[in-house]
Amino acid sequence: MKLLVSLNVNGQTYDLAVAPQRTLLEVLRENVRLTGTKCGCDDGDCGACTVLLDGVPVTSCLVLAVDGQDKAITTIEGLAVDGELHPLQQAFIDYGALQCGFCTPGLILAAKYLLEQNPNPTDEEIRFGLAGNLCRCTGYVQVLEAVAACRVNDGAAVQESK
Amino acid sequence: MTQEFKVVGKPLPRVDGYSKVTGQAEFTVDVDLPGMLHGKILRSPHPHARILNINTCAAESLPGVKAVITGRDTADMRYAFVDTPRYPADEYPLAQDKVRYIGDELAAVAAVDLETAQQALDLIQVEYEILPAVFDPFEAMHPDAPTVHDTQYEGRSIWEEWGAQKTRRSEAHETVNNVSGRTVITYGEPDEAFASAYHVREDHFETSSTAHCALEPHAAVAHVDPNGQLHMWLSTMGIYYKRYVIAKVLKMSTSQVRLHKVYVGGAFGGKMDVFPYEFCSAILARKSGRPVKIELTREETFTTTRIRFPTYIDIKTGVTREGKILAQHIRTVVNNGAFMGTGPVVIFLFHGWTAPVYSVRNMRYEGVSVWTNTPVGGPQRGHGAPQIRFAIDSQLDMIAEDLGIDPAEMMLKNVRRIGDVLPNGDVLNSCGLTDCIAQAVDVSGWKKKRGESGSNRAERSNGTKRRGVGISTTTMISGAPYYPFASAGIVKLDDDGSATLISGVVEMGQGAETTLAMVAAEELGISLTDIRIVAGDTEQTPVDMGSFLSGGALVTGDAVRLAAADAKKQLLEIASERLDTLVEELEINDGTVCVRGRPDRCMTFGEVVRYSIKENGQPIIGRGSRKILTAAEHYPSLAKGTGRWTDAYGFNAQVAEVEVDTETGQVTLVRATTFHDCGQPLNPQIVDGQVYGCVSTGQGQALTEELIFENGRVLNSTFADYRLPTILETPESAGEAVDSYEPAGPFGAKEVGEGVIAQTLAAIANAVYNAVGVRITSLPITPEKVLAGLEEQRNG
Repeated sequence: MKLLVSLNVNGQTYDLAVAPQRTLLEVLRENVRLTGTKCGCDDGDCGACTVLLDGVPVTSCLVLAVDGQDKAITTIEGLAVDGELHPLQQAFIDYGALQCGFCTPGLILAAKYLLEQNPNPTDEEIRFGLAGNLCRCTGYVQVLEAVAACRVNDGAAVQESK
Repeated sequence: MTQEFKVVGKPLPRVDGYSKVTGQAEFTVDVDLPGMLHGKILRSPHPHARILNINTCAAESLPGVKAVITGRDTADMRYAFVDTPRYPADEYPLAQDKVRYIGDELAAVAAVDLETAQQALDLIQVEYEILPAVFDPFEAMHPDAPTVHDTQYEGRSIWEEWGAQKTRRSEAHETVNNVSGRTVITYGEPDEAFASAYHVREDHFETSSTAHCALEPHAAVAHVDPNGQLHMWLSTMGIYYKRYVIAKVLKMSTSQVRLHKVYVGGAFGGKMDVFPYEFCSAILARKSGRPVKIELTREETFTTTRIRFPTYIDIKTGVTREGKILAQHIRTVVNNGAFMGTGPVVIFLFHGWTAPVYSVRNMRYEGVSVWTNTPVGGPQRGHGAPQIRFAIDSQLDMIAEDLGIDPAEMMLKNVRRIGDVLPNGDVLNSCGLTDCIAQAVDVSGWKKKRGESGSNRAERSNGTKRRGVGISTTTMISGAPYYPFASAGIVKLDDDGSATLISGVVEMGQGAETTLAMVAAEELGISLTDIRIVAGDTEQTPVDMGSFLSGGALVTGDAVRLAAADAKKQLLEIASERLDTLVEELEINDGTVCVRGRPDRCMTFGEVVRYSIKENGQPIIGRGSRKILTAAEHYPSLAKGTGRWTDAYGFNAQVAEVEVDTETGQVTLVRATTFHDCGQPLNPQIVDGQVYGCVSTGQGQALTEELIFENGRVLNSTFADYRLPTILETPESAGEAVDSYEPAGPFGAKEVGEGVIAQTLAAIANAVYNAVGVRITSLPITPEKVLAGLEEQRNG
């Protein structure tokens, strides 16, 4: 039996009939057809499926789609506005913070939440904020640099140096 | 050698960056075709059993099931990565007579959705005769041990039309139970050299099974079109290699199989082999008449794709009083699991990663690969280098202590230099090993941290957190002869002055698309943003060696450079006609051709192309190609180590600084100082990323990563239980490329991105010893082992 669910994804409403056991990850990828959210483990261990639920990062493989009802869901596809990249997206490109790109959407969304909670995190706080997102390619060095560059204070410094 | 470049050598942003940060990049798992079915694979729960019967009737009649296949459908499909008269192929897409490890493929189904496919698997009834199993390679070699492959595999190799021998050339070694491969290499006079040595040491080392952990799990999509062409989207490292094997095994003409472009979500060697699930997706698509997608779960990816070979290494080394290595005798045993995988290759590679680093004139090397009832070993970043470099450089550290000399100094006494010729005939036309070691020592503060003598007897700090530094070195090839033996590129100029680069390369994160586009831009004299790239599709792009064997920069890079040079030559000839001057009088600057010294007599690239098309009807299309090894027979001998192998080696040295907690045994990698010789770095930001990634994986494999087995079953097949480094463990990084130029590579470039992983293990192990005096000879360096060592120390 399927349930009717209304999901608000990146500001757009999708009325869907989904089986109650379907995860948010599956429904985003298969029903809404937004495939930027990746399945790396289906166990909540790797963070590749991270999306924001009312602004808070969740591993969407551990959230039932029906629990997304009446919540604002942000996926990686919802970050750029009118083709203009979010500063984190731009920083990931500028600092070479991505390689294969499979973990990148999850990392960027986790970093977005981190910076919203704390616009000037210390290096240590950045590490703790992203500790739930595995990446095998980068060794994380350039990821740390990219996120650090998006701190409000660092951003100001960048602006001044321009 | 300093050369002025406009594009190469600059940290330009990746061309695939935008699509990856916006979630638009398409991976195999994202491919969705109309009417697509979902496939699942039935796997053996037993490590070793004879298949008495498989009944699929109930599964086939389940509504929603569109195709079911078993070993009967794959009976004539024997294949393997190694497939020669000496080492006949030993795998089938689905098991025939026996299952040989937990996870071995028995049957596959395609159904309208995953749930139905899973239900169908549950309905397949298999009758087994459980057989005794063997998990340890030394036990497996005993004459009374169960024999994993008791079938004689005979018949053709799929490589015969590419020159593979039809019959075995040399005599076989004595047959030993379960031995799948053997390499024996001897040169010089080892016995005499050992007899004359001032000091001889013999040590034993062991390394663990590790997993690749690409974040993208393995996946395949297959579809047969009405003309019978098989279309596939695969987690692959080389489209031409996979196309050939799939076509041959499925008895199709190569051109009847097309691999489509997808981005690959990390590979690290693990997506090079052709896997049963890939054949199954194609056979199911053929049988059902519908597209089929098979996505492996993370657990399946951990246990049924490939793992790094657990290796047992014995090294005997004889040295002079001053630390010059006179002779080595190295014996290795690898457990290759239920099938050969690359077992017979890795035992050859262990020597391959030995000879280019230290000059050892007297060598006896013996390697053995062994079948057991465990998951299968295969290529993994470094392919054998982490194991053998861990052993050799750990022992070097021990010898240096015996002699009371600095291990870095001892390395410098033994390392290869430019101009050296290796025992197999490979020539080092570039070799920055000395600089790598010297700079790593300098920048890491080695002398200060080791104490003036540099020896391990330097005073160690007290307290419970102790610091130490260790050093190691390594090497990696820049491409080796393997199908398809060459890469080619096409550069097509457009009438607006931009260019399209067409290459068969696979972008799996290493930055190949960006780097190759930079090579084309540099050669043409335009900017990176003026290049578009069409890549990774067997129907649309020319032959490519694949993104393995670390030949991307040197081989494919040079093919692309030559293609751009060809386009440039045509462009200049047309411009000389139009500008009424000699080609030699022309110069190119930023997409414009001018008569030298005459800024008033110029044509933009677009103008030249438009003129050429309008006046002569000729578009400008350049082509270039590069053989992997310019002067070689097709394959080096795996059994004897003879035959040239590569045009250039990359080199690296690393100093690791660790902190050891003597209360918990926990080892933290604090700082990794890595200097490497990749020739001219094509894109330093991408090169840095490759180095950081290697260091991180090396760190994981040194300290935490280990697949744990119990009676052939993997106990830790999740990211929660198999601990790869998180961002919390990221060490400080220092170091860069040393000044080097490889004449065989495009703009002086050669390998980067694979070798660096291999030195991190011994560097960390040696640093642990330097910190607390505990020598760990088996990886990973767990807190338990460190605490046991400290305990032993206290008990004297």
